[in-house]
Amino acid sequence: MRTLNAFLFGCILITSAFHESAQAQSLLDGIEAAPLVITPVSATFKDTRIINAQSNETPGKNVLHFVIAHRFGQINEGAYALWGLDNASMRMAFDYGITDRLAVGVARSTFQKTYEANVKWRALRQNSDNSMPLSVTLYSVAMANGLRWSDPTRENYFSSRLSYVNQAIIAKKWGSKLSLALIPSFIHRNLVESLSDAHDQWTLGAGGRYKVTSRASINVEYHHALAGLPTDHVNSLSLGMDIETGGHVFQLHLTNSQGMFERAFLTENSGTWGDGAIYFGFNLSRVFDF
Amino acid sequence: MPFGASAQQYMTREGHVRFFSTTPIEDIEAENHQTTALLQADGAFAFRVPVLGFRFEKALMEEHFNENYLESHTYPNGSFEGNIDGFTDALKDGESHDVLAKGVLSIHGIEQEREISSKVRWNGTGWDIESVFNVAPADHDINIPKVVRNKIAPTIEVTVQANLNPR
Repeated sequence: MRTLNAFLFGCILITSAFHESAQAQSLLDGIEAAPLVITPVSATFKDTRIINAQSNETPGKNVLHFVIAHRFGQINEGAYALWGLDNASMRMAFDYGITDRLAVGVARSTFQKTYEANVKWRALRQNSDNSMPLSVTLYSVAMANGLRWSDPTRENYFSSRLSYVNQAIIAKKWGSKLSLALIPSFIHRNLVESLSDAHDQWTLGAGGRYKVTSRASINVEYHHALAGLPTDHVNSLSLGMDIETGGHVFQLHLTNSQGMFERAFLTENSGTWGDGAIYFGFNLSRVFDF
Repeated sequence: MPFGASAQQYMTREGHVRFFSTTPIEDIEAENHQTTALLQADGAFAFRVPVLGFRFEKALMEEHFNENYLESHTYPNGSFEGNIDGFTDALKDGESHDVLAKGVLSIHGIEQEREISSKVRWNGTGWDIESVFNVAPADHDINIPKVVRNKIAPTIEVTVQANLNPR
C-alpha cells in the first residue's frame, strides 16, 4: 500500500511539473523587454522623517505636508500618570514642496516654545539602475527659543534665542524592503548655558527601516555626539513603526528624546532607556495637493 | 506545438497602456509606453507591461501604486497570453475588425481567464491593435484600504494600443 501511495505521489509530482513547464511557455519567452526608463528610486523612507530625524524624502512639487507630532511623558512615571500619557509635548509642522527636490517648512513645538524655519534639498537621488547609488539630501533648520528671558533685568538679544542645525542625509534603498541612512549633523548655538559648553557640536547618526508588510515598516534611529555630551545628557536612540493608511502616515515610536526639533533631540536628551525614562510618541502626517 | 516556429510574427516594444480610474472625488490616470506585444499569423497573441513603467501625474500616486497596490518589486510585469479568435490573413483589408482575444490576464501575480474584445487593423505592413477593457483590482488580490475606497474606482478602465511590425 505504501509503495502504491509513493508511486501515485510521484506521478502527481511529475504531472504537475509538466503542467508547470507548459504554463511557463510563453510567446514572449526569449524576447527582451525594452529597457526601463531610469527613474529616481521612490519611497526610500515612507515619510520625510525616519523617527525624529529627517529622511532623504521631501514632499513632492506643490504638496503641502502637514505633521502633528506628540511625545508623551516618561513611561516610568507609572500608572498614576498612565505611563506618561497624562503629559504631552506637541509639534506642528507645515512643509511645502516647491519642486520635487526642494522644500521649505515652518514648525512650532511646545517644548521650549520653539519656532523653526527650515529648507531641505534633495541634492542627489538614487537611480533605479543604481547609476547613482545613493541619495543625498541636505537639511538646514534655524530654531528660535520662545521662552521668556530667564533674567529680564540684563540686556537680552534676540540672536541669543537662535540655534542652527545643518545636516546631510545619505540614504540608500536596498531592494524594496530595506533602507539605511547615515546622518552627519552640525549644531550651533548662539548662546550656551555655561562658559564651559561648546557653541558647536557634531553628531553622527544612523537610521533605517525594514518593511514588514506593504504598508508597515520597523524603524530605528541613533545619533552619537562625536565630542561627547555634558554629563546630564545622553545620545538619542529611537525605535518605531511606520503605518501607512493611504494619504496618512502614522509613525509610532519609543524614544529617549522629548524634543522634536534637531538641536534638542541631537544633543539635549535626558531620558535613558535603561531605567524606562523614555517617551512614547507619534508623528501623524497628511498631504494636501495644490 | 502551440506556436508554429515558421509563422509570421509581428511585434512592438513601445506599446501603449493607459489606465484610468474615476470617482466623484478623484480621477487617477497612468500611462506606459514600454509594453512589449507580439502577434502571430495564427492568432497567438501576448503582451507584457512593466509595472514600474507607469507614469502618474503625482509622484505620491506612483509611489503608492508600486509600493502598496501592485507590489511591483515582487510582481514586475502585467501580462496577457492567449489567442485572437478567428484571426486570419483575410482580415488584411485595411478595415478595422472587431475580434475577441481569449486568454489569461495576469496582474499582481494573479491570473484570470478573460475574453477581451479588441480591434485589429492591417496598416499595410503590420497590425494595429486597440482594446479597452475593465479590470477590477479585487480580482487580482489588490487590496484597497477602506479609507481610500472612495478615491479608487472598483473597476479600472485599461486601454491598450500597439502598432506591431513584422519581426
